[in-house]
Amino acid sequence: MTTPEDPLTKTMLKRIEQYRDRWSSYGGQTGIVAISEKLSPQELRTYEIFSDYDDKFLEKISPDVSVVLWRDGSVLFEQGTYLDLAFFVAGGEVDVFVEDAGEFQEAEPIFDTSRTVMVPPSTSREGLDTAVGRTAFFRPSQVLEGGASASHEITFLASMDFDLPKGATARLGPGELFGEIGAMSGWPQSVTARTVGECQLVQIRVPALRLMKRKSQALKERVDQLYKERALMTQLKSTPLFRGCNDFFIQGLMEVVELVSCEPGETLVQEGDSADAVYLVRSGFVKLVQQFGDGQIAVSYLSKGMTLGEVEFLIEGLDRWEVTASSVEYAELVKIPAETFGNLVKLSPEIEEQLWQTAAARIKEYGSSRHDVSRSEFVSGAVETGLVQGNSILVIDLESCTRCDDCVRACAATHDGRPRFVREGNKVDNLLIAKSCYHCRDPVCLVGCPTGAIHRAGLEAVVEVDEEICIGCGTCARNCPYDAIVMHETEELWPDDMIPTALRGTDRLLASKCDLCHSTGHDPACVSNCPQGCAYRVGSVEEIQELLSR
Amino acid sequence: MSPVAEPRAGRRRSGRFRAGPWAWAFVLAAAACLVLYAVGLVLWEVRPGTLLGMSYGIAAAVLLTGAALYGLRRRTMSTVSRWRLGSAAGWLRLHLYGGGLFLLLVLMHTGFRLPTGTWMWWLWLLSLWTAFSGLAGRALQLWIPRVLASGLSVEANYDRIPELVAELRQRAERLVADCDPSVQSLYARKIAPALAAPEQSATFFFDVTGGARARLKDLDYLAGLLSSAEKEKLREIERLYRAKLEIDAHYTLQRLLRVWLWFHVPPSLVLLALVVVHIFTVSYY
Repeated sequence: MTTPEDPLTKTMLKRIEQYRDRWSSYGGQTGIVAISEKLSPQELRTYEIFSDYDDKFLEKISPDVSVVLWRDGSVLFEQGTYLDLAFFVAGGEVDVFVEDAGEFQEAEPIFDTSRTVMVPPSTSREGLDTAVGRTAFFRPSQVLEGGASASHEITFLASMDFDLPKGATARLGPGELFGEIGAMSGWPQSVTARTVGECQLVQIRVPALRLMKRKSQALKERVDQLYKERALMTQLKSTPLFRGCNDFFIQGLMEVVELVSCEPGETLVQEGDSADAVYLVRSGFVKLVQQFGDGQIAVSYLSKGMTLGEVEFLIEGLDRWEVTASSVEYAELVKIPAETFGNLVKLSPEIEEQLWQTAAARIKEYGSSRHDVSRSEFVSGAVETGLVQGNSILVIDLESCTRCDDCVRACAATHDGRPRFVREGNKVDNLLIAKSCYHCRDPVCLVGCPTGAIHRAGLEAVVEVDEEICIGCGTCARNCPYDAIVMHETEELWPDDMIPTALRGTDRLLASKCDLCHSTGHDPACVSNCPQGCAYRVGSVEEIQELLSR
Repeated sequence: MSPVAEPRAGRRRSGRFRAGPWAWAFVLAAAACLVLYAVGLVLWEVRPGTLLGMSYGIAAAVLLTGAALYGLRRRTMSTVSRWRLGSAAGWLRLHLYGGGLFLLLVLMHTGFRLPTGTWMWWLWLLSLWTAFSGLAGRALQLWIPRVLASGLSVEANYDRIPELVAELRQRAERLVADCDPSVQSLYARKIAPALAAPEQSATFFFDVTGGARARLKDLDYLAGLLSSAEKEKLREIERLYRAKLEIDAHYTLQRLLRVWLWFHVPPSLVLLALVVVHIFTVSYY
């Protein structure tokens, strides 16, 4: 650990500056007093959370771990922010609190709402008034209204923000970890976290967290258990299907569920196998395929908040899976045993009704995919090309587009003469899916950025690059599966004090991508400057299908 | 959960061209002008120098200026976006309907008579040319995108067409170097010249595929005589050739959309300049 008072080299100061920038890019205050250099396995093992791992493993994850000393009153992150890291309290204390209930509603996880039945706000169900995230089910070491009790066991509070009552503050002490579930699931933080006094935090980024969970079964079980205790209730409650259900129903669910993690491409259920559960997607995407002739066709896909198994669960005599479900990337699911789920559903006719609606829609989807293979082809393509991920996909109707390129020129005019997309891409029927950032629900480009230059812009779904702190390493461009990030030359050289040192004297590159004109404060220029009105920003595959059906 | 494809409110941003309200506004404005003109005819004489005639002239000049602002908007997109001065689609509607109304007002300004004097002839003819070239351009804008989207599988960026053709040529040459001599011979005679550079052809106006089927007949015949491995290579060359034909279709038709602007914009600017001189002359003398 170094402090500004130490006789630091210019290089070390630069590194501190970069980390400081990184934190300010998340919207937090610049409250960093000191940041560690890369930690050795021995140093990491001094923190309880790393004590179970061997040297080789710790060496591997150490680039994604840093120890940061924060000054009093520093805002670590704000409510609604998307983070790609978790905080482990090594020393000092952190207050977490819900700032405003209204803002909390806006900052709910990004569901693919066009495919998800959302309970209207006016819908009244038993317990609705008290249901959504207003009861503390976690055990923070100290809730301010209550007394303080320092805990040294590791506790995970990633989604406790959901459980905090408005206005209440939870105080976290040494040994507690927070932000993990939000980071791993791509859910926004719905609390603001602020340091109380000088505070030392171990900051662990998602790749390291994922490896840690995979490496240590004990840690996984511990995390899952704590997740069940502290976060599952609120995640279930904020899931469209169960939104508004009373606590009794949710508690019943919580007792029987199992948490399932899937690797990319892993088969979750196999068509024809015994169907004994209902699954709820926490994060990631799941592709559904059915046998068709000698091959398979994609019939649908599931995204965050959606369920699988309602057809098999509801229709009597249908005790085998109708589909094969496999994860597209990393996916986290909640498995609910069918038998106990059935008992619970009997107590809640609204849920059953909603399940029937979902099942009917799903059967319709299966049927139309089998009837019209082009639909299946489209669904399959949408999953494979990542359209399902998109929050804002630039689609151009080629039947109206005069190829004037005003969209590209407008983009360039808005971004210092440098367009952020090209009018090229996949053609789906008469639509062009332009090579422009999709602003993914779970943006993989964020993972691995060494400075945090690429980030979610505040409460928005916008993914943008902070050019001030981008070091042009190209990690985001390589990570983006859709070629939507371009590295361009700035015709400058990196200065002699640049970090990493390998960059010194080399050409300065900059990551460039669509930012939805977020920084300019107006609508995306590509759309508003299209004279034919044939450029669209769509937020789901269904909207693309609707455009196709016109 | 439901797969109902209801678009999320406010998510889609589009100014898709819908003529409805603008067309009605145009019809109403044109009808009002015509009624006023008819009344004017009964009560007074309508000539350019009369109050009514002058009013039509002023209104026409205003509309012409308004329509010309569309061009200015295209060159100041950053400012327009920043100041939220409306969507380009809205401005285009104003340009189109304003341009149409401009011609009507010019005709009423002259009392539907032929002009007298060279200067007036120029003004009159340029007004007609600008309006009708605009109409022709609009027709092209509606026709060409449909043809390109529905008839072709390849989408090409006009500025990159030479680059795309060069890429196709290189791929084809690499492929053919390893082919049977009969394929090489056919390639040299029929395909290599076609892959040499982007080509324009009037054929694409009538058949967007450029008569691909007829052009590929020789390849089909040869394919029947080849081994399966050679046939596969020939099919790949055929695919590249088809892609080149489609790129040529883009080249021809997109070029027309660009060339058309030269028939519309410069005369419009000349007209605007002449109108300024005309106004100055009329008000001075």
